[in-house]
Order: sequence, then structure tokens, then C-alpha cells
Amino acid sequence: MAPKAITSPVPDSLYPTLSVLTLAIGLVLTASFFIYEATTSRKTRSLAQELTTGAVASVFLGFGSLFLLIACGVYV
Amino acid sequence: MLRFALTLLLFTLAFGVLSSSPVFSDLILAKVDRRIDLTSQIVRITTSLKVENAGSNPISEILLSFPENQAKHLAYLTATLNEGKGKGKASSGAGLPTEVVIPKDVPDSLTFYSLSLPKGLGKGESLLLDVLAVFTHALEPFPEKISQADIQLLLFQDTAHFLSPYKVMVQSLAVKLPEARVESYTKLEGTKLSGSELKYGPFHNIPPFSYLPIIIHFENNQPFAVAEELVREIEISHWGNVQVTEHYNLFHGGAKSKGEFSRLPCFCDYEFLCRYFVRARPYVRGASAFRRLVARLPPRAHSVYYRDEIGNISTSSLWGDSKKTELEIEPRYPLFGGWRTAFTIGYGLPLRDFLFESDGKRFLNFSFGSPINELVIDTLIVKVVLPEGSKDISASVPFPVKQWQETKFSHLDLVGRPVVVLEKNNVVPEHNEHFQVYYKFNSLSMLREPLMLIFGFFFLFVACIVYMHADLSISKSSASYLAKVQWEEVQATVQQIHNIISHCLTAHDKLEASLRDLSRTGDVQACKATRKSVDSLLKGVSKDLKPLVTFLQSSPQAAHILPKVEELIAKERDLQERLMAKHTTVVDCYEKKLGGREIENRIASNQQKITSLRQEVDDLMDFIDEI
Repeated sequence: MAPKAITSPVPDSLYPTLSVLTLAIGLVLTASFFIYEATTSRKTRSLAQELTTGAVASVFLGFGSLFLLIACGVYV
Repeated sequence: MLRFALTLLLFTLAFGVLSSSPVFSDLILAKVDRRIDLTSQIVRITTSLKVENAGSNPISEILLSFPENQAKHLAYLTATLNEGKGKGKASSGAGLPTEVVIPKDVPDSLTFYSLSLPKGLGKGESLLLDVLAVFTHALEPFPEKISQADIQLLLFQDTAHFLSPYKVMVQSLAVKLPEARVESYTKLEGTKLSGSELKYGPFHNIPPFSYLPIIIHFENNQPFAVAEELVREIEISHWGNVQVTEHYNLFHGGAKSKGEFSRLPCFCDYEFLCRYFVRARPYVRGASAFRRLVARLPPRAHSVYYRDEIGNISTSSLWGDSKKTELEIEPRYPLFGGWRTAFTIGYGLPLRDFLFESDGKRFLNFSFGSPINELVIDTLIVKVVLPEGSKDISASVPFPVKQWQETKFSHLDLVGRPVVVLEKNNVVPEHNEHFQVYYKFNSLSMLREPLMLIFGFFFLFVACIVYMHADLSISKSSASYLAKVQWEEVQATVQQIHNIISHCLTAHDKLEASLRDLSRTGDVQACKATRKSVDSLLKGVSKDLKPLVTFLQSSPQAAHILPKVEELIAKERDLQERLMAKHTTVVDCYEKKLGGREIENRIASNQQKITSLRQEVDDLMDFIDEI
């Protein structure tokens, strides 16, 4: 059986674009999280919304920072 | 050296008299052609043998012998069967397996290598063999120390007769020298020196273990680059890159340099001529020193760097095509005999050229030796760093090496990455073959790295939430704390009122939109339905607002916004009524099929008030939003 070459899961040339996109979305979600924290009072705050916004923002920020590291040549 | 040769001569005479053991007399070497290549610091001896089986039993192994002091310089030995009948055909196929053996009844101070034949050599048959032996540090500089102006002369000692446990019928020896200048060489009968090639022989009917020493003293200005230690680190990342880092510790292995070093192109001979005139005497500026080294990297190498402990070294050049990438580096100073330098070269390679998958296992296919041309390495250590989570690691190298495993901690690592370390001594460019490292890796393990980053960020968000929710006040009954609590309640109520009013405003917008639809489509029924729904919504709203307003009236903190809030509610109600009135008028007009001009007239005054009220309501909403 001829050996098959292994490549990265994402094409190499896409890493910078992907990192900018995911980081932008992640930062927008972080901003909305902090705006929510600043404008609501203690009574009207909802923990579920805080946690979901934080979770989704951290997923995007995590992937964005990983792609940023790879695009800069630090192949982790 | 001479004493050794004499003892060996005596031995061979004695041995020849006693006549060798039966094993050795079975094979006869009908024709032996030796070519010694002395053009670089690495001595390469190519021997073509025609082996005949003169005995009655089939032979399955052939012995090669080397004198011990030559065998300790032996770096690479390979033998191939030559299938072709003519001289021009190159030998094909893989090398025959060779191993060191110690046969019985042989003189000491000889090292024997045994070649195993794939199919035995029958009685009376003959075959052709090509043997390549590569020796390092076999050229001795003589004189050992030279100054910057002298040329480098080297001494090479070998035997004119092929040292073999078998009888040789016809043999010849050709020595290829780097330049036409030979200082001296052993003259036997029939020796010819033509240009840069020295021919000995042909010799006929030589008995086994015959040794005839020859010495050649010649000039060689090729770069004698020797790496005392080379550590090659190959790091694999499944995100698409193979990073190679090579740490070199080089020295010049030729004649040692003595005296002073000068970069001046002219030489003032003070002793004789300084008083009267300065004569520029051109002199050979270290012909044996080398200034640059050329490395052949694989194609598509990127991010190549060349640095040492001080920093980046800029004297380098790189160019590449689809077959290779050539890197030419110049150390910070030219290397004269005995001088050392140390530097690091690093480059990245695309993953798909080197990592493959077959039978459920992944393997890395990479070259073993150094990419620098004609470099002798005393100790080569190759470290292959595999990603975290690799299991069942094994390495397969085409020649014997020492191997063991280590762990390396790198970016985003929890337990460390497994490292396969291969060590070999006395490495020459012939060792630049590919080796494989096999391992198993679950693709899901690649997600561990982004998950670590995600959890890191999530921890920050959770810390923020905890901080906002935590009540860190020390005294729960102080006046300022109570005031703060009340103010927060007021804020919450005002926000709720704000939300309700915005719902109302959206309902107003829906009404306006339905009017516009009416003018477009003329569907009166839909318009009426919208009005009914908006009506019920707005009735509910006024009910919700009542308790909130009462709370605000009772709270002392809300004293300054209460009038504004009440004004807002009143204005909103007014707006609501006017809008409903306008809506009814327009619908009636449509039912009566009145013209557009008529409708405009009827609602004109109302419309003006509506727009101004809407503006005021919006301003109040913004004001309330900002408290």
C-alpha cells in the first residue's frame, strides 16, 4: 500500500486569514460580554447569558490565538 | 608505521609458506581494479573484484580484510553485485549485508568483513563485485604545522597489493590526486604518473595476505571541514511544519596553523627592503583555509536562519529551485588549520514532503546526515521530536546507530514530547540516506492544544463573572451600602420601564409600517388586523407600568428622575392615542376610496404633532438610558 502524505487539517495559506476572522469575532463577543456586565444591575443580570457569552467568546479567542501562533511561525 | 609494515610483510611470507587454511583457497580473485580517490579530505577506495569459485563447494560469503590502523578510520563500507558485463554498466541493487567477523587462523592486526551473497556461488562460477570503502582522518598532514604562506601537504599510506585472504591473479591500482603537484611517491616498477593520476601495476599472481606499502606525499587544498559534534533536532508539528535545527561545532582538520595571522594583501619584508622601498610581495594567503561552506537543503525550505552565540550571521546566501535549496554560508572568519567555529542553522519544511501514513502508523522519512557538502562528522546526534500523544515509537535506520528516548518540554505541553535520539560516530556524506521513525497518533489529540487555550480564556471570563457577582462589602448595615443597594434597585426599575417603552415604540413602528403597506397593496383587512393586535399589546403595557411607577414614587433615591419618567410615560400615551387616531382615519379613507390628497389633508395636523412627540420621546429615552 503506497504511503499517503499527511498534511495539516487546515491549508497552510489560510492560517493568517482564519486567525484574523476568529480573533475579530472573539473580540466582538468579549466586548458584548463586558458591555452586558457594565450596563446591567445586580437584579437583572442573568448568569446563563453571562456564561454562554463567555464560553462562545473563549472558544473563538482560543482558536484565534492558536491560528495566530501558527501564522507567526510558532508551530505549537 | 614502517615497523608495522615490516611485521606484516614477515607475517605474510610466513603465512604463505605455511599455506592458508582450506576455506580461503576455494576462492580466487581473477581481476581486481582499485581506484583510490584522494581529491577531498575523505578517502574513497573503490574496488572492482572478479571472484571465481575454484573449489568444489558453493560459497555463500566473501571476506574483505583491512589492516587494523586503516580499519579504525573506516566510516562506510558497501558492496554491490555488478550485473553488467561491460565496464560501463553501473552496479544496481541494494548493497550486500556486511558484518565484522573474526575467522580462525588469520594474522592479528587485521579486521575482517564478511559479505553475504544472496545466492551462493557455485563451483566454477564467477561474479563481479563493487566495493566502496570510505575512510575519514586517513590523510596525515606532513608537515603538521604550517604558516599562513605555506601550502598544505598530506601523507597517504596504503598497500599497492590488494590485501585479501584470497589469491589474486591480476590487479591494478589507480590513485586520483586533487592537483597535478605531487611532492613524492613510492616508485615501484611500472609506476606511471600522468597529470593528476598515479598508476601502479598491473601485478600478477599475488599470494594471499600480501602487503606492499606505498606512501604518497601530495598537496591538497580542499576544505578540511570536520564537525566535532553535530546535533540535529527535527521537530514535527502536525499543524503543517517540520522544523530542523542543526548545531555545528566545526574545526579545520588539516595541517595546524602556526605563526601570526594577517589579512593584508601585501607583505612588507622589513628585513631587507623597508629602508629603501616597500615591495609588495604577493604570497599565497592560506590556500588551505576555507571560507565558505555549501549546504544542500530539501526543496521548499523556508525561514532559513544562520546564527551563533553572538547573533545573526549575515554572510550567507540562499537560492532554491524545485529540486533543492542551496545555502552558502561564510563563517565569521576564514578557518585555518586547527581553528574552530560554532554556529546554528535552522530551517522549516512543509509537512507533506516528509510525513506519511501507512497501515495505521505514521512515519517520518528524513535524511540522516548533514546537508553540508563533504563534511566529516565525528559525532552525529539526531533527535526527532514527535508531537505529544505519540505512542508505539520505533526507528529504522539503514546502518547501525545507538538509540534511546528522551522527553522535551515545548510550547503548550502538559507531559512533554517524546524524543527519539540516534547517535553515530564517524559520519560521512555517504550516510545521507533516509531513515524512518514510526509512531501512532490519534488525530483528536491535536485538539488538546486549542482546548488548553480555550480553557485559559474561559477561566478569565469566569473570574470576571465571579468578581461582578461577589459582594465584597464588609458592613451590610452602613448607610452608604444601603444607599448603594437602593440605587441599584432604582436603576433596575428604570431599565425595566425603558424596555417596556421600547416595546411600545416598536409597536408604533409596526402601525406605521402597516399604513405604508396599505398604501402599497390596498389590503384593508390586514391593516385592521395589525391595529387590533397593537391595541391589545399597548393595553397590557399600561398595566405593567403601574407597579413600577409606584415603586419609583416610593423610593427616595429616584427623586430626580421621577419627573422625567412620568413625563416620558405621559408623552408616550399621548403619542399612542394620536397614532391610533391617525390610523383609523386613514383606514376609513381607504374604505371610502378617497384620494391621496384628501387623506393628507385630514391627518396633516395630527402628523405634525406625532413627529414632534416622537422626537421628544426619543430624547427622554436617551436621557434615561444614560443615568
